[in-house]
Amino acid sequence: MTALLTMKNLRGGYGDSDILFDLSIEVAKGEIVAIVGPNGAGKSTAMKSIFGLLDIRAGSIAIGETDITGWAPNRIVKAGICYVPQVKNIFSEMTVHENFEMGAFLRKGDYSAALDRVYNLFPDLRTKQKATAGRLSGGQRQMVAMGRALMLDPQVLLLDEPTAGLSPKYMEQIFQISRDVRDSGVAILLVEQHAKQALAFADRGYVLAAGRNRHEGPASELLADRHIAEMFLGG
Amino acid sequence: MEWITVLNYPVYLAIFICIYGCLAIGLNIQWGYAGLFNAGVAGFFAIGAYASAILTSPWAEGRLGGFDLPFPVGLVGAMLLAGLLAWPIGKICLRFRSDYLAIVTIGVAEGIRLVARSEEWLTNSARGISAIPRPFGDLPYAKAQLVYLGITALILLVAYVLVQRQAVSPWGRMMRAIRDNESAAQAMGKDVPYRRLEAFILGSALMGLAGALYVHLARTITPDAIDPMLITFLVWIMVILGGAGNNRGVLLGAIIVWVIWSTSEIVTDQLPSEYALKAKYGRMFLIGLLLQLVLRFRPEGILPEKLRKESREERPMGEQASATQATGNIIN
Amino acid sequence: MDMHSFINFFLLPGIVQGSIYALGAIGITLVFAIMRYGHFAHGDLATFGAFIALAFTTVLGLSPYAALPLAVLATGVFAVALDRLFYAHLRAMPKIITTIASFGVALMLRSFVQVVWGVNTTSYTRGITRPENWFGIRVKSHEIVTLLVAIALVVALHLFLTRNKWGKAMRAMSDNPELALFSGVDNGKVIALTWIIAGGLCAASGFFLGLNTELKSLMGWNILLPTFAAAILGGVGRIEGAIVGGLIVGIAEELSVLVIPGEYKVMSAFGILLLVLLFRPTGLFRGKVL
Repeated sequence: MTALLTMKNLRGGYGDSDILFDLSIEVAKGEIVAIVGPNGAGKSTAMKSIFGLLDIRAGSIAIGETDITGWAPNRIVKAGICYVPQVKNIFSEMTVHENFEMGAFLRKGDYSAALDRVYNLFPDLRTKQKATAGRLSGGQRQMVAMGRALMLDPQVLLLDEPTAGLSPKYMEQIFQISRDVRDSGVAILLVEQHAKQALAFADRGYVLAAGRNRHEGPASELLADRHIAEMFLGG
Repeated sequence: MEWITVLNYPVYLAIFICIYGCLAIGLNIQWGYAGLFNAGVAGFFAIGAYASAILTSPWAEGRLGGFDLPFPVGLVGAMLLAGLLAWPIGKICLRFRSDYLAIVTIGVAEGIRLVARSEEWLTNSARGISAIPRPFGDLPYAKAQLVYLGITALILLVAYVLVQRQAVSPWGRMMRAIRDNESAAQAMGKDVPYRRLEAFILGSALMGLAGALYVHLARTITPDAIDPMLITFLVWIMVILGGAGNNRGVLLGAIIVWVIWSTSEIVTDQLPSEYALKAKYGRMFLIGLLLQLVLRFRPEGILPEKLRKESREERPMGEQASATQATGNIIN
Repeated sequence: MDMHSFINFFLLPGIVQGSIYALGAIGITLVFAIMRYGHFAHGDLATFGAFIALAFTTVLGLSPYAALPLAVLATGVFAVALDRLFYAHLRAMPKIITTIASFGVALMLRSFVQVVWGVNTTSYTRGITRPENWFGIRVKSHEIVTLLVAIALVVALHLFLTRNKWGKAMRAMSDNPELALFSGVDNGKVIALTWIIAGGLCAASGFFLGLNTELKSLMGWNILLPTFAAAILGGVGRIEGAIVGGLIVGIAEELSVLVIPGEYKVMSAFGILLLVLLFRPTGLFRGKVL
């Protein structure tokens, strides 16, 4: 298995203080990788580091063979990584359709095929194209957020707590759509607070604590490990 | 020529430095310690000037006063009135980011100029107020100037010592904490709006005091004597160039900027008259440019605030993280 | 007061003045929305635009109306240059630092105008234009042009922001700057575009102010307060708000002379500003509050 996204021995943080100390994560094409861990472990920070949102002091980030450490966000997007932040992940004053158009901002020429695919993934949104995104329900907003990120046909999709605050019904739906996206050949890296549910649906997982890798392996094994369950997954 | 007259110009220069020093310390309290953008410095200066003029000048037909009160009463009155004016403005604006305060204070300064111009019963309109007394004003000119320099320097020194003592006290630390991280300060139970209002009023009172010192030097005041944009701007550049948050720095800024500003006038006055007027505007252009250069190459000023570390940097993306860091809690 | 004199002496002048404020307020609101700071050189940039138009009329011998588009374009490009020279490097600092820098730019622009064109008042055309009389409503031709051009500019801007890819990118940047970056929008280009539009509209507002009144070096500084009041009244970041806000401020100024002495007419914008900040800081159209 060759890794598509590689984060190697990352150390970094904001200002003077470090949050990540020695973090290494790999994601391959066609797999879902979940990052779980207690509050303050640096899960979201790990994801933000890819987009150059914190000062990286050591280590590297690469997509394929290309080192992208410290690149500007728009170059990283062009390199094929799309990011769905946990909060403020839609253009709330713009319509659903305009959100998707912004997702396709870097595409040249006709993108109706990509648009069609996104509407197929999220059929609920087809009737809401002209609706202002900020007025939708929480689950639908999360769909708009994912749809926007998928408009560029990314190689890697980063999802920061995609199910936070969603009802079980929407949570299941988001997970199902993520699987569909994975099956179309996209690598997905997600951070999850609901560790058990996330590991239950991911292919592989990383357990972080205090900015370091603590455990990693196939998601099912992590889930089955009593020790990990007690320490990190809430028993 | 007596030795003392040789000193006339430097003394005159020094008096103005003291007056601007007061303004700069006032603005330093507002901007340097509390992060408040007062773009109407000249307005508070004018209020102080008129207040002291009305209180201390002899009775005159057709306008309020004068009350012929002693000089110190004029100074206190100037500070009180300027502080009193600052109170409602601060009440309304300090809830918002400083941009709103800036535009409102510009409006205040304009309003004060309009009142000075239009209200004959109060300010005697365009003819202004004259015969304003000066302490020891009966002495020969050169001596009177020297004595007045002593008075302004003493007042500036007192203001400096008092403000400096506050600045290094817990009050000063708290003000900086509020400026640098409002939410964290609020979380620690600081009454942020009240503290800001305090700084705004105190700074404005000092600006009023400077206005009073000016008016007793000039002994006359008209609406056009106070160019709102120019005064406000000179004080701002003094504070930024000297080093916002450092009282010694802003005083140094006052000296440098005022010396440049008034000696350049000597140079441009030598020009033929058709160029002299243009040269005045050219000088203003250069002062504007000086601000840009300072902001670009030395934004912390010549004497930077010692306690200020990385707080001036803003991280649009990492805001939440740095905020939680500062409160020392969860970092995720 | 009968209907005709209300329209002739209050409503019409108010609308004309209001559209001048609106043109400036749109730029202020755009800068607020996309770069997140108050731009205090906006009034003096309008002065600059007005005098650039004057230069086109005197040097090239163009008619004022022919000079307008050139001045709009020139001021737009000039605004981009101002940003590159004086604001761009301050982007990583707290936004208020840029506001301070803009205050300095205001002084520089004004001094520049004073050095080049002097401090005396001047005008684009000599002589007095007689108002035309339509069913008792007296309106001057340049007032009609002001309104028509203002409407055309607003419609063009609206179409740009809702139909064009880069227009949408501007709205996206205003709505959620981080997500716009994650979508691959180059914020340097959006900022340059914002300055072209804001600077161009600013020149138009200065031009029409000069056309309807007169040109002088302080003309722009004098409309800074009403223009900001219009932007905040409408709701920061709301273009429709800036237009409505501009019209309200313009009309309120004209009507104010019925209740306050004429000398204080210019303070009515200040009064409106204080009322908005006190009672509805988000403005009429629920804008951002900074």
